[in-house]
Amino acid sequence: MRKIIELKGITKSFDGDVVLDHIDLDIYDNEFITLLGPSGCGKTTTLRIIAGFEQPDSGTVTFLGEDLLSLPPHKRNVNTVFQRYALFPHLNVYENIAFPLRVKKAPNDEIDTQVHEMLKLVALEGFEKRSVTSLSGGQQQRVAIARALVSRPKVLLLDEPLAALDAKLRKDMQLELHKIQRASGITFIFVTHDQEEALSMSDTVVVMAEGKIQQIGTPVDIYNEPQNAFVADFIGESNILNGVMLEDRKVRFHGHVFECVDAGFGKNEPVDVVVRPEDVDIVPEEKGMLRGVVTGVTFLGVHYEIIVDVQGFKWMIQTTDFVDVDEHIGLYIEPDAIQIMKKSKYSGMFGDYSSFSNEFDELSDAEAEVEEE
Amino acid sequence: MRKENKGLAAVRRAVLAPYGVWSMIFIVVPLFFVAYYAFTDSSFRFTTENVTRFFTATSTVGGATVHTYLLIFWRSLKLAIISTAICLLLGYPIAYILSRASDRTQKILITLIMIPMWMNFLIRTYAWMTILQDTGILNGLLAKIGLGPVHIIGTETAVVIGMVYDYFPYMILPIYSVMAKLDMKLVEAARDLGCNGWNVLRRVIFPLSLPGVISGVTMVLIPSISTFYISQKLGNGKFYLIGDAIEGQYVANNLHFAAAIALLLMVVLLVCMALMQRYANKRAFV
Amino acid sequence: MFTIKLSAKIYTALILVFLFAPIVILLVFSFNASKSLSVMQGGSLYWYRELFRDAETLGAVRNTLLLAITAAVVSTVMGTAAAVGIHRLRSRYLRLAYDTVTNIPMINPDIITGISLMLMFVFVGRLFGAATSLNFWTMLIAHITFCLPYVILQVLPKLQQMDSSLPEAAMDLGCTPLKAFLKVEIPEIMPGIVTGLIMAFTLSLDDFVISYFTSGNGFETLPIRIYNMTKKTVTPKMYALSTIIFFTILALLIMSNLIDTTAPGVERPEKKVRTAEQKKRLRIAGGIGVVLAAGMIAVMIIGAPDRPVLNVYNWGEYISDGSEDSFNTIKGFEKWYKENYGSEVEVNYSTFASNEDMYSKIASGAVSYDVIIPSDYMIARMREEGMLLPLDKDNIPNYDECIGESFRGLYYDPEDLYTVPYTYSFVGVIWDAEQVDEEDTGDWDLLWNEKYRGNILQFNNSRDAFATAQYKLGLDVNNTDPAEWRAALEELKAQQPLVKSYVMDEIYNMMESGEAAIASYYAGDYFTMVDSEADTVDLQFYVPERTNYFIDAMCIPSCCQQKELAEAFINYMLEEEPAIANAEYIMYGCPNRLVYENEDYAEEMGEEAMEILYPDLDQFAEKFNEFAYRNLDSQTLDLVNTLWEELKIN
Repeated sequence: MRKIIELKGITKSFDGDVVLDHIDLDIYDNEFITLLGPSGCGKTTTLRIIAGFEQPDSGTVTFLGEDLLSLPPHKRNVNTVFQRYALFPHLNVYENIAFPLRVKKAPNDEIDTQVHEMLKLVALEGFEKRSVTSLSGGQQQRVAIARALVSRPKVLLLDEPLAALDAKLRKDMQLELHKIQRASGITFIFVTHDQEEALSMSDTVVVMAEGKIQQIGTPVDIYNEPQNAFVADFIGESNILNGVMLEDRKVRFHGHVFECVDAGFGKNEPVDVVVRPEDVDIVPEEKGMLRGVVTGVTFLGVHYEIIVDVQGFKWMIQTTDFVDVDEHIGLYIEPDAIQIMKKSKYSGMFGDYSSFSNEFDELSDAEAEVEEE
Repeated sequence: MRKENKGLAAVRRAVLAPYGVWSMIFIVVPLFFVAYYAFTDSSFRFTTENVTRFFTATSTVGGATVHTYLLIFWRSLKLAIISTAICLLLGYPIAYILSRASDRTQKILITLIMIPMWMNFLIRTYAWMTILQDTGILNGLLAKIGLGPVHIIGTETAVVIGMVYDYFPYMILPIYSVMAKLDMKLVEAARDLGCNGWNVLRRVIFPLSLPGVISGVTMVLIPSISTFYISQKLGNGKFYLIGDAIEGQYVANNLHFAAAIALLLMVVLLVCMALMQRYANKRAFV
Repeated sequence: MFTIKLSAKIYTALILVFLFAPIVILLVFSFNASKSLSVMQGGSLYWYRELFRDAETLGAVRNTLLLAITAAVVSTVMGTAAAVGIHRLRSRYLRLAYDTVTNIPMINPDIITGISLMLMFVFVGRLFGAATSLNFWTMLIAHITFCLPYVILQVLPKLQQMDSSLPEAAMDLGCTPLKAFLKVEIPEIMPGIVTGLIMAFTLSLDDFVISYFTSGNGFETLPIRIYNMTKKTVTPKMYALSTIIFFTILALLIMSNLIDTTAPGVERPEKKVRTAEQKKRLRIAGGIGVVLAAGMIAVMIIGAPDRPVLNVYNWGEYISDGSEDSFNTIKGFEKWYKENYGSEVEVNYSTFASNEDMYSKIASGAVSYDVIIPSDYMIARMREEGMLLPLDKDNIPNYDECIGESFRGLYYDPEDLYTVPYTYSFVGVIWDAEQVDEEDTGDWDLLWNEKYRGNILQFNNSRDAFATAQYKLGLDVNNTDPAEWRAALEELKAQQPLVKSYVMDEIYNMMESGEAAIASYYAGDYFTMVDSEADTVDLQFYVPERTNYFIDAMCIPSCCQQKELAEAFINYMLEEEPAIANAEYIMYGCPNRLVYENEDYAEEMGEEAMEILYPDLDQFAEKFNEFAYRNLDSQTLDLVNTLWEELKIN
């Protein structure tokens, strides 16, 4: 695959706060790449640097091998779909989509053909004369995409475009976006703080935190083999424990030695151990590798989410079996369910469900949406 | 500083530059000229005499010795505060009524309130003379319904009426524009939480409309403290306010003393405004 | 349509009555058949006709509009750009600095903004030795300066409400930053810009105070013209003008409602997309505005006449200007000059409210006039200070024939080098025979008579007011002894409880309507009052033994740029036709033999007027030399000023 955009050593700070700290990133042709991270991690800034709205303090950005930073936004062959769409309220649907072509002074009949093609692509035929303010969120979204695509950019930047949609609509749009990307063959750089969105749509996921790239990989890699506690926690649910790597494929935590599939750590090296909640089996107490007391049960439809206290550490386990609060149970973990990570600055910060609550989780999600940019 | 795309930064500087230069030359520098004149004599030698004179000049009023300019200043302030208070008391309900009226009504009423502002202010003041004088329209009407003549022209009341009239819209409009944006759900919430009508006004609407009140008070107080035409015409020439003093010194070609009065007035007003702003900020968090 | 409660309706109605009462008054009185602003004597369109004949007032209207449109357009363009720049400022300190500076003209009273700009203009003008430092441009600068913050404060919130990614989206889609601004930001913030423009226009139109301090050479706006009418009277003509303005605005507002812009200071709650038709109308309206403003500025710059311009500076309402069927002396001069000298000339006529006002302007070096018409004592002062140029009498051949011995060799110009007398008059006492017993009349004591407490008017200018007390006490008005001035002050203080009002031009209304019974004023003005007195009023006049006699004379200040032209003007003013026209218009005494010996004139004025205005002229010179005000030294002037303030704060 052809490298289309290359970021090297990008550093950026606002008023002394470092937002991007030596970012290196390659983006390939025809790829759906997602920048994923909590608010303030620098993902939007990265996007704005590529779009040309921000200038990095240091580092280079090249586009097909040529310097991109010296070009003003309007000369870059990349277009953006903005978070709140940024549709022009004084123009109707048709004129919004036609806008880039009008700027280029394209002939009217060409504009007409292209706009209609785009309307068809985003399934908004018949909406030409409507005022954009009268459209629903999803429809506005599509107009924004159509407008960004009509001038056939090489790269489309999407800045949390689905954040303002409700859950159902968001799912539909995810599929839609994916379809559009495949159909148009344009590179999509997608920014989101929603890990599910990232996993379901992307070819490549870039997890960012505190201005640094934490991990780059396919969704499966990212989920199954997180490289540090931050990634493990941010992508899906994880129980993260302090452990010691006794030798290759042997790790000890909770005072118990477990078989695992990882190797290549130093002898007795302290590590972070990740176990996904769905990978823990509940067995009768006496058969368990670990024993604990159930302290909480939440019914979530497909499964139960239960919190188990093991020696003071709260595990989260997803299971379809019903257990009751205060029940004593045993936990069983397969070797390939155990993922070993090197210690990082995030060690000990995540992965204990002592204070877990579904509501809190939702609350912080909602906040993140508002805060970003 | 955040670096931006160079083109954008240049555009930004370019659009701000004319105003930057303009405001420097025509807003900031002239204030230094006021200070310069205030502290120099007619041959531009440094002196504090003008400023001292403001504080020390005395005259005899009703047998007692008073500080001339301090008294003038105090009287101007008093009349301005009374006028501002009346504007607020009369204007606040109107702003409230406006903000709760239908869109169409709002538009019509706002236009009606604005229209008198387009009439020349000297002429409007002149028309008030016709209304208020002892043989004027008002007394004519009162006589028709059998009420005794009232003597208004040449009294404080007349001056206050003139000031209230001229600056009334400046009070209504800022309060109205804040109130129009007030979320009615807040009122409902307050009702829900047990406030009666008065409490809703006192505890919810008034604190939230405070920014509008502050800017309304500023916009009325400032011009009414320094007016010199209204006091001449409606005060029967019996009210000598700080504006009259400045104008009087200017006409007497006493520019340096006029500048000194202007400078002191400016300082007092700036201090007042700063205090008010602080009070407003504090209130905003109570 | 009213969805508010009854009490609210009543309250709103009362407030509207309050707001519109004066407007109704001026609508009604603009149709007055007489000259009075307080007594309605039948309806007519007379004042409307007068208005359209009054070239000077119409000129002032044109100036006011020109200034307001230019100031509004410039401040809107610059203010909008500034708002955009400020909005994008990222440094907190710079932002704070701009906010503060923008607030200064709003927090500062007009009078301080006006004075501060005036001081700077005058100082800088003097520094560069400019002949005139105050003119149209300084006024324009002042107006732009105080309009700017209002524009910025209207546009800035619109920018803040706008989705900041809109301009970015435009650039992203291929617009240059400038194009993005024009195509996307401008339409978004248009309501704010329009409101800002309207506010700037309104403020500029109505501004008096700042204009008062920064106005100069011959560029007179309407508010200044009205203010300068304070020696003579404001006529219903001004009400007629206001009425026309009122209906024009009403029409404009209705039109603007059609174009669907908001009233100033008002947010529109919901956003509507304009229809193509509305957009078109808006564009047309905007286009017309821009073209008008550009045209007017172009006229100002290019159209400045290549023919010589004569700047004349006179009292308000102090020349026969074609109003009320009089002869237009200014147009007359232009025509006469063409006939006699064969070339075009243009007179730029402006007015002042008092000698001191005029002196301040000229002494500041801020203005340049060719002919001025001050009073005797001011002439003496200006002559001593070297502010006058000697006249070349060869260029004023009418002088010898017209000006009699009585008006030559007077104290202010003993050798008749600097002046040609224009009018003369004296102060007398006007009394209403319906309210005042004849036996009480005759001298100054009437103004101190307890019987008429609350019915007496006194001058609202220091020199004239002090003089009444000095004449009453038998003191010399030209004394420099502080003790004597104090004595006069005490006399005025004693009179104060009896005084209804300190007046200048208000005297007309008050005497005509019977609002007051006794006043002292200038002889000729008495006739104006008699002409429009109410039925219940019977005004009479007498001249006390000791009183102020004064002469207003034409002279040429040292800032004059067109001396020969100025002399030609002075010469023309002595010609029979303009001189009689002026004498009839002003109704003061005229020192021109061609006038007072003219029988038609005598008939026109009437017997009583001729008797009062033209007593034995030999005696006039004698009385003038004995009683007229002389110029006081600056120390005494300052004292008088201080004593006057003391009186006024009592």
